[in-house]
Amino acid sequence: MLAAALENIPLMIVATGALVGIAAALPGTFLVLRGSSLLSDAISHSIVLGIVLVWMMSGAQSGPLQLIGAAVTGLATVFLTELVAGTGRVKNDAAIGLVFPALFSIGVLLLNVYARDVHIDQHTVLLGEIGFVWLDTVALGAYEVPRSLLSMGAMCAINLVFVVLLFKELKLATFDRALAAALGFMPGLLFYALLALTSATAVAAFDAVGAVLFIAFVIVPPSAAYLLTDRLSLMLLLSAAIATLSSIAGYVVAVLFDVSIGGMMAVMTGLFLLLAFLFGPRYGIIAQALRRRRAATVTPA
Amino acid sequence: MPSNLRRLAAALAGAALGGLLSGAAAQADEKPRAITTVGMIADVAQNVAAECVASEALMGPGVDPHLYQASAGDVHAFDRADIILYSGYALEGQLGDVLERFARRKPTVAVSEQAIDPSELIGAPGGHGIDPHLWMDASLWARLAPTIAEAFLEVAPDCSAAMQANAAAYQAQLAALHDWVKTSIATIPERQRILVTAHDAFAYYGRAYGIEVTGIQGISTEAEASVADIRNVAQLVVDRKVPAIFVESTINPRTVQAIVDAARQKGQEVQIGGQLYSDAMGEPGTAGGTYLGMIFENTRTIVEALGGEPAPLPGALKPWADKWNVDVAQR
Repeated sequence: MLAAALENIPLMIVATGALVGIAAALPGTFLVLRGSSLLSDAISHSIVLGIVLVWMMSGAQSGPLQLIGAAVTGLATVFLTELVAGTGRVKNDAAIGLVFPALFSIGVLLLNVYARDVHIDQHTVLLGEIGFVWLDTVALGAYEVPRSLLSMGAMCAINLVFVVLLFKELKLATFDRALAAALGFMPGLLFYALLALTSATAVAAFDAVGAVLFIAFVIVPPSAAYLLTDRLSLMLLLSAAIATLSSIAGYVVAVLFDVSIGGMMAVMTGLFLLLAFLFGPRYGIIAQALRRRRAATVTPA
Repeated sequence: MPSNLRRLAAALAGAALGGLLSGAAAQADEKPRAITTVGMIADVAQNVAAECVASEALMGPGVDPHLYQASAGDVHAFDRADIILYSGYALEGQLGDVLERFARRKPTVAVSEQAIDPSELIGAPGGHGIDPHLWMDASLWARLAPTIAEAFLEVAPDCSAAMQANAAAYQAQLAALHDWVKTSIATIPERQRILVTAHDAFAYYGRAYGIEVTGIQGISTEAEASVADIRNVAQLVVDRKVPAIFVESTINPRTVQAIVDAARQKGQEVQIGGQLYSDAMGEPGTAGGTYLGMIFENTRTIVEALGGEPAPLPGALKPWADKWNVDVAQR
C-alpha cells in the first residue's frame, strides 16, 4: 500500500507541498510576528552568491557541494541581518533590505566577471519545480521515495521538535524580548537558531518547490492565521492547516486549469488570506462592520 | 479495522486526486508517446517517427528553458510518456540531472550526449561548463536523428526499418540545409560578417557557418549586460560598420536597443535586423515552428540584414518549402 502511495504522483506532489507548507509555517509564524518574514525572500536572492562562490572554488555546477554552499549563504544572510539589526540603528525590515541586495549584487557581479561563458544560476543547482518532485527518487529499502519528500519531511520534523521543545521560550522572546533576556532565555541565541532553521528549510524547499512558493508558505499562512486567532499555539496549528489546504486546493485547481502547480498553490495561500481577512471572527472586516453597527445601535447619540 | 479505515482513506484521497489526472490516460491502442524537453528535439523525433511515435515538447515556442515552469498538464504528459528525450549537456539544468536518475525507471535518453561527442562541444574558456545550444549547427543536430530512431526501438520495435529510412532522409535534408546556410552566409561582405545578438546562443552557428559571433550578455540568461558590455559591443558595431544586430525570441530586446542607441550616438546607424530563434522555435503551424524552419529563417534574417543574398534553396528542401509556402528561389 505504501508502494502504491509512493507511485501516486498527485499524492506525492500534494504531500510535498503540504510538508513544505508546514515546515515553512512553523518558523514563519515567529518571523511574521517578529516582522522579519521577508528573510525568506532575502535568502532566495542571496544564495546566488553562494552558488557562484562554490563554483569558483570547486568548479561544481550542481551537486551536494552546491547545496551546502547555498545553505551556508542562507545562514550568512540571516546572521548578517541580525548583526545589522542588532546595532539598533536600523529596523528589522531595513536590515534585511540592506543585507540581501548586497549579497545578491556581489553574486551578479561575480557572475558577470568570472562566469560570462558558463551556464550557472539557481536552476543548475536547484530543481525548484514541485510538479517534478516525483521524478527524483531515492531507493529506501524496497521503496522508491521522492527525495524532496524525505528532505522536507526531515525539515518538518526538525522544525516541529524545535518549536515544541522551546515553545515557551520562543513565545516569550517573540513578545517580550527584554523579559526573556532578564529571565536568562537568551532571546538572541534563540532567534539565531530559529533563523538557521529557516535558512536550512529554505534551501531544501527551493530545491523541492522553488523560491516563490516557499516565500508564500512562510508569510501567507501565518498572516492568515494571525487574522483568526490571538493564541500562539492556535496560530501555529492554523498556519500549518492553511498551508496544507492550500497545497491540496492548489493542486486540484492547477489540474483543472492546466497551469503551474506551484504557482496555483501560492495563489491558494492568498485566497485563504483573503477569506480570513473577510470572514475572520474578530479581525475580519465583516465581523468588524457588524460589531460597529451593533455598537452604534446600542449607544444612540 | 483501523488499518482498513486508513486504507480506505488513502484510496479515497488517491482516487480523488488521481482521478483528475488519469481520465485521459485510459484511451488505449494509441501510438507510444514520447515527451521531449525542448521543441527542437521533438521536431527531429517527429521527422524520424511521426507514424510510429507521438512526440511532444514540454517547452513551447518563445519559452526560455531556464525560466520554464511546469504546468499540471506537463506533469501528466511526463507521467504517461513511454519514453523521455532530453538534450543533456547541462541544457536542462537541474532537471537534466533529475532525468538522468529517472532513467532507471522509464526509458529516458539524453539525445545530445549520445549523439554528439564531447570533443565537438564548445566549452567556456575557463574549462568549466559547456555551451548547450547545439542545435545551432545543423550538421551536429542532424546526428540526433539516428540516435532517436535507435532510442525509439524500445517503444516501437516494429518500426525499425521505417524509422531508419526516415532518419536517413531527414539527415539528407539537414545536410542540404547545412550547405545552404554556409553558402548563404558566405554571400555577406566579409567585413560585415558578424552576428551581434542578445545572449551567447550562436557560438555553434558561428563555428559551423563561418560568421563571427558576439553576444551582448553571457550564456546564462540570468546575468545581465553590464555597462561595459554595452559600450564594447557598441564600439565593435561602429568600428566594423555592422549594419544590423538581432533580437531573440526568448529574450527581452532592451539591451539590443541600448546598443542601437549607443552606436547612434557614435554616429553609426544600425538596424535591428529582426528576431532570431535562439532557445526555442516559432509557433507551431508556421515554418519557424519546425527545426528546419528555425535555422532557415534565422539564416535568411541574418543574411538579408547584413547585406548578403540567400542562396537558392536546394532541391532536397523542396518538400519542406512547399509544405510551408516558403518563397525562396529553388534550385
